[in-house]
Amino acid sequence: MVRKHREIGKAGWGYTATTSIIGFIYFFPVLWIILTAFKTRTDALATPPKLFFTPTLDNFTSVFYRASITTGSSQATDMGLYFFNSIFIAGTSVGLALIVGTLAAYAFSRFPLRGNDTYLFIILTTRMMPPIVVIIPIFLMFRLSGLAGTYWGIILLYTAFNIPFSIWLIKSFFDELNPEIEDAARMDGSTEGRVFFGFCIPQILAGLSATFVFGLILTWNEFLFALLLTGVETRTVPVAMARTLGGEVGVDYGLLAAIVTLFLIPIFFVTFLLQNQLLRGVTFGTVKK
Amino acid sequence: MTIELKKLTKRFGALTAVDSVDLTVGDGEVLCLLGPSGCGKTTTLRMVAGLELASEGEVYLGGKNVSDRAARDRNVAMSFQFYALYPSLTVAENLAFPLYGEGLSKTEIEVRVARISDTLQLGGILNRTPGQLAEGEKQRVAVGRSIIRDPTCFLFDEPLSRLDVQLREEMRGEIKLVLQDLSRPTVIVTHDQLEALTMADRIAVMRDGRIEQVDTPHNVFQRPKNLFVAGFIGTPQMNLLTATLTASNGANAEFAISGGQTIMIDVDPRISELSPGTDVTLGVRPRNLEISNEPTPDGISTTIDIVEPMGAETLVHLSDGQHVLRLVTDWRVPLNEGDKVHTRFLPGTTHIFTADEQVLRTP
Amino acid sequence: MANTAKTRSGFGAWLLDPKRRGALLVAPAITILFVMNIFPLMWSFGLSFFNYKASSLKVPTFKGFDNYGKVLTDERVWERFQTTAIIVSSSVIMQLIIGFLMAMMFAKVFPLRRIVLMLVLTPMMLSFVSVGVFFKLFYEPTFGIVSFVLNFFTEERFVLLGSPEGAILGIVIADAWMWSPFVMLLVLAGLVSVPKYLYEAAEIDRASKWRTFWTITFPYIKSLLLLAVLFRTIETFKLFDVVYIITDGGPGSTTETIAVYLYRTAFQFFKTSQSSALAYIVLFIVIVLTNLYLYAVNRREEEVE
Repeated sequence: MVRKHREIGKAGWGYTATTSIIGFIYFFPVLWIILTAFKTRTDALATPPKLFFTPTLDNFTSVFYRASITTGSSQATDMGLYFFNSIFIAGTSVGLALIVGTLAAYAFSRFPLRGNDTYLFIILTTRMMPPIVVIIPIFLMFRLSGLAGTYWGIILLYTAFNIPFSIWLIKSFFDELNPEIEDAARMDGSTEGRVFFGFCIPQILAGLSATFVFGLILTWNEFLFALLLTGVETRTVPVAMARTLGGEVGVDYGLLAAIVTLFLIPIFFVTFLLQNQLLRGVTFGTVKK
Repeated sequence: MTIELKKLTKRFGALTAVDSVDLTVGDGEVLCLLGPSGCGKTTTLRMVAGLELASEGEVYLGGKNVSDRAARDRNVAMSFQFYALYPSLTVAENLAFPLYGEGLSKTEIEVRVARISDTLQLGGILNRTPGQLAEGEKQRVAVGRSIIRDPTCFLFDEPLSRLDVQLREEMRGEIKLVLQDLSRPTVIVTHDQLEALTMADRIAVMRDGRIEQVDTPHNVFQRPKNLFVAGFIGTPQMNLLTATLTASNGANAEFAISGGQTIMIDVDPRISELSPGTDVTLGVRPRNLEISNEPTPDGISTTIDIVEPMGAETLVHLSDGQHVLRLVTDWRVPLNEGDKVHTRFLPGTTHIFTADEQVLRTP
Repeated sequence: MANTAKTRSGFGAWLLDPKRRGALLVAPAITILFVMNIFPLMWSFGLSFFNYKASSLKVPTFKGFDNYGKVLTDERVWERFQTTAIIVSSSVIMQLIIGFLMAMMFAKVFPLRRIVLMLVLTPMMLSFVSVGVFFKLFYEPTFGIVSFVLNFFTEERFVLLGSPEGAILGIVIADAWMWSPFVMLLVLAGLVSVPKYLYEAAEIDRASKWRTFWTITFPYIKSLLLLAVLFRTIETFKLFDVVYIITDGGPGSTTETIAVYLYRTAFQFFKTSQSSALAYIVLFIVIVLTNLYLYAVNRREEEVE
């Protein structure tokens, strides 16, 4: 005789089945877009909507190459450039914000200044602020300084946009370290630089990479700043998507779905890999556990 | 009311945490499950409570087989190692919590809470929440909550493990008093032998999921059934020396202790039945060793390694080259580390164990 | 002369003094934030007292509090605030309900939990624009799947975004879909922080499921629920992208949130000064909410300790 015992808070495969169904219903919008991306134009616009169809990669090809009407030969679209812009701009600005933010986070965590909390509050406020509030003067500033439409302008702006988030998040990682180890290292004659680079940074490397990736996602997804401050050369994917949607003659939903699908790929990886840091990431480090 | 465990077994995958345990706890009896961590004592307790279901075997509470019932259907009371006080409730509400499901009137609940708070002196803290309590107070509330109902049995999981030494001594006495008034079988899980020795009517010593010995505190200490119990019970630990029987004459026997020395020990006739050359383990408690300046037949020569004053007594670590022996002596005896001394085994105090670790002779 | 030299070398030492190490490390971050956030805000604060229009070359004149007066007495502004409030409250309530239920579902440990959890968490990581695109496609009257399904039952052509209520509902659904996982994550953090022995004690004490929830579970999640409400309120208050993509404020201006309205006044009508004034009012609200949020964060941290 063998008894099966369910511990409190544990469930089996039956439960997995139930939650999977609910999970799939919740995930359905994403799934539907991905399916649409593989449909031909006729399938995409079919009524009733088709769940089963012959998949095609045409939409993905036409994201980057468009058949020219006059010559019939294919011609590269600008979408490749926009993807490059999204990656380049997000990568550079998040990298910069990470460096500057780590230094500041270390200071906030280890060398409490007078009025520390006030600084941290102001910094968080700049993050909580609706982007539309800052964008008005920044738009004027960029127009005057000629930064509008340049890589430098948008990178600088995104760096500023990512700093508050980086500081709060990285500070939450520094706060978790045991400062006794650092004091022990100081006792043993390590310089401040060695304590920082040799002890603190290695211990929060995982946290730093999480911060980097979260920053990437936030920047990657950002729309309003990009809409107003990028030019033809520096346009990012979200802006391109919005423009495709506001398209001139009928929206090509298959094409749009293909762009969205490509845009989603990095997000899946991140959501899966950073699941344990997700809570901290989305609350800017204010809620750890 | 009794607790009866029959061939109780718990497996977690390939690991057998509790292995065919048979045990009976009588009405009003206090039984301590004692053993090193990981020996299966807590799992056994949880199986009695119904928080774990046994893989095999049965649990009888008050004569009824409850093996397949969930905890809530077994009507047991339990106090947890981490107290498990409900953080959002006050002390009074915590105490009353087990009564809410009983369909009692409000006044009846109040009367019972008042009675318990009198017994455990909780009157002053009834309106505080667990977060505002000191460890000792939390402990009392946890005990109070578990004894407020009239269950089929009382279970305590490591009741004193989170208290500091002084508080532990105090609470030990207090809990003992409370336990004496309970007319239900009680099981206490502990890894602290002093706790078990002072509070229990009987002690069950466990190792690797099996019960090694169930007996009164006195017997567990004086008559360990095997090498494990002998080594586990008693502080400082019993000295255990591997030896070989070389000769015996009925009243005395000579053993060759590994390392080369020989010793003469008074034995009972059963030892004489063994043939010379049998391997045994000699066990003698630190307080049954004596330092003598002269070599004696019932002693061995040793060197003093460490002297640890413990107040009224002194703990001495001795070495015969092969074994480390612990000896407790009066603090007035002058001792120096490095000295060569002779160590006598006091007559009638040596336990002898066979090679398969079972007791052969108890003084 | 010697004195100046001494002061100079003294300046280096002064800067590197351990007392100022913290300030020195924070300096680059503060500088960038000042240039890109604080200074522009001060600039627009100044502008809010003039009658500047970014599209005209006229020299702006000082108007004092005129813009604030104009904004605060403008019926349209109040309407936009109302729209925003409706969207924020209904979306946050929906997020709370869905997020809470999903958290209860995922509080258990079961096989493949991590993967199923990923399905549910993904929406939160998407960009607003993508989500806007999804729902725009679903709500499409002819071939959108939502319209199709409803069509099937009512046998009427269903144009969700055609009516003001429908359009608001459409936006609320998109936003709630995207952010319910956020509430779920917070609640889940509370649920998994409940020590298992408390549930065991309740089992021993024969407490009902209902009582167990209110005495044990709820106290562990209530501070996180408060955090979730505040955080989502702040974030939803800024709602722009989804509205911009799905309805663009329409039909008419019935779904114009305060953020969209600000965008319109600032970049379509180029009423720069007036929009700066409104921006400051919005900023004030956000600062108050952020303060509340941090207060809740600190209270929760004390609780956890």
